[in-house]
Amino acid sequence: MGIYAEPRFLPCGDLALSVELGDDINREVNASVLALEYLIRQQALGGVTETVPSYRSLLVYYDPVTVGWDELTKSLRELCREARPEVLPPARTVEIPCCYGGDLGFDLDAAARKIGLPADEMARLHASTDYYVYFVGFTPGLPYMTGMPERLEIPRLDQPRTKTPPGSVSIGGIQCCIYSVESPGGFWVLGRTPLRLYDPSAADPILLRAGDHVRFRMISRAEYDAIAAAVAEGTYTPRVERA
Amino acid sequence: MPSILIQDAGPQTTVQDLGRRGSLRVGIPPSGPMDRDAFLLANRLVGNADDAAGLECTVIGPRVEFADERWVAVTGAVMPVTLNGAAMPRWAAFEVEAGDVLRMGPAASGVRGYLAVSGGIDTPPALGSRATYPRGQLGGLEGRALRKGDCLPLGPASGGAPAEVHEELIPDYTIEPTVRVVLGPQDDRFTKRGIAALFDAPYEMTPQSDRMGARLRGARIEHTRGHDIISDGVALGGIQVVGDGQPIVLLADRQSTGGYTKIGTVCSFDVGRVAQVKPGQRLRFRQVTVVEAHEFLRAYRRELDGAIPFASP
Repeated sequence: MGIYAEPRFLPCGDLALSVELGDDINREVNASVLALEYLIRQQALGGVTETVPSYRSLLVYYDPVTVGWDELTKSLRELCREARPEVLPPARTVEIPCCYGGDLGFDLDAAARKIGLPADEMARLHASTDYYVYFVGFTPGLPYMTGMPERLEIPRLDQPRTKTPPGSVSIGGIQCCIYSVESPGGFWVLGRTPLRLYDPSAADPILLRAGDHVRFRMISRAEYDAIAAAVAEGTYTPRVERA
Repeated sequence: MPSILIQDAGPQTTVQDLGRRGSLRVGIPPSGPMDRDAFLLANRLVGNADDAAGLECTVIGPRVEFADERWVAVTGAVMPVTLNGAAMPRWAAFEVEAGDVLRMGPAASGVRGYLAVSGGIDTPPALGSRATYPRGQLGGLEGRALRKGDCLPLGPASGGAPAEVHEELIPDYTIEPTVRVVLGPQDDRFTKRGIAALFDAPYEMTPQSDRMGARLRGARIEHTRGHDIISDGVALGGIQVVGDGQPIVLLADRQSTGGYTKIGTVCSFDVGRVAQVKPGQRLRFRQVTVVEAHEFLRAYRRELDGAIPFASP
């Protein structure tokens, strides 16, 4: 398990290939994926037009008229050798205020019963650790995260709901995600953040990035409303630290 | 400001350019025209840059009023074109004047029609593109499909000339297309029989298809061991097969990543052809290697570059 000795190159049509670096979801493999993407961007690798990181692979779009399969995979194989987590710039830690339970965290009570904890203890535990963002995707700005205390592991909902509001802080299995737009979902909604993970009216519409750390801060309903108002007015600045 | 007025929008008409680049890594799809060739040729016919913004119409076209002199061209689905009620050619540039009304009717064949106007549509770009992504309320006009009464600003027109696309290059959307597919990235998760099924018999387009994906129905494509994978990036044209063994071809507004097996990927130069298949109509898949796909791509680009013989002034 873990990182492959040699990367696998999987064709994705005539304009893309997937560089697969490992066989499971772990932070070491993912950091190598992000490092590979970082090096490709930093060196402006010839013919590469776009990259999409995910848990254990990097989708690389390219222009085959500029660079052929053999030449590109040769360059990528060399870059993979240098693609260690150390090449990445310092990670950011982004604070996400979250109001747990009540009508915003409408699954908290049921989820707490399911795993046999008092609801306030479940919320406290959820907000007690740092989370790691493997990648952002599926819908605009949605972070795929792990880092939850093991005690909170929970099977996904038996019946996925058709609509989950944006900002919903949710868990399923060992994963945590924050819905970025209204979408269907099979995760338990523990709370909601007043921050916008995706704001199409902003110059930079995306809050979180692959490789970020996330720290949840428990807030009251009153503070939720105050931050939501500030976000709507464009006067709220998220707290971001660099390691 | 020069503009066009949408007198009637049709069921789904959006502003599109060639799409956003570089935003898939944060989950924002490229969007852009579903049939890239038809869109691009419309722009070239009116003397626009390839990435100028125009309109994509779905099944039924809009009725549009012009406020000044422009060159226009209609391509894509066979939607009858009239100017002030008089029939006009498709795949050809012609002039319009202030007050003229252009109408694109219901598609006799094909699904997506394109209207290019010289100068291009000049709505504000979002993340470097004017392409509309309605699910993300991004780009185009207020991030949405157009409505009756919308007014779209135009860029400065830079003249134009009569031009038309070579007749033999105008696609016939009534025939059952064969689209070329490179196997992968997860072809190893399908049985030999499953892979053979994909290429042996035609698949039918279903009405559940949209700008995210073309949902097809046909012979069951058999997995070796389940359809879940560790989520990874989804390329344009990716053929996702879930538990029911039916393929979904992922298109311009696709999700950036997904957790289902992808047996193969439709080549970029054939994706537009998928977008023109009507619900109930069928298409076939043909397997090619990556090397063959790259040769086809070069030939395709040469063909596109020679599609419009320049008319003498």
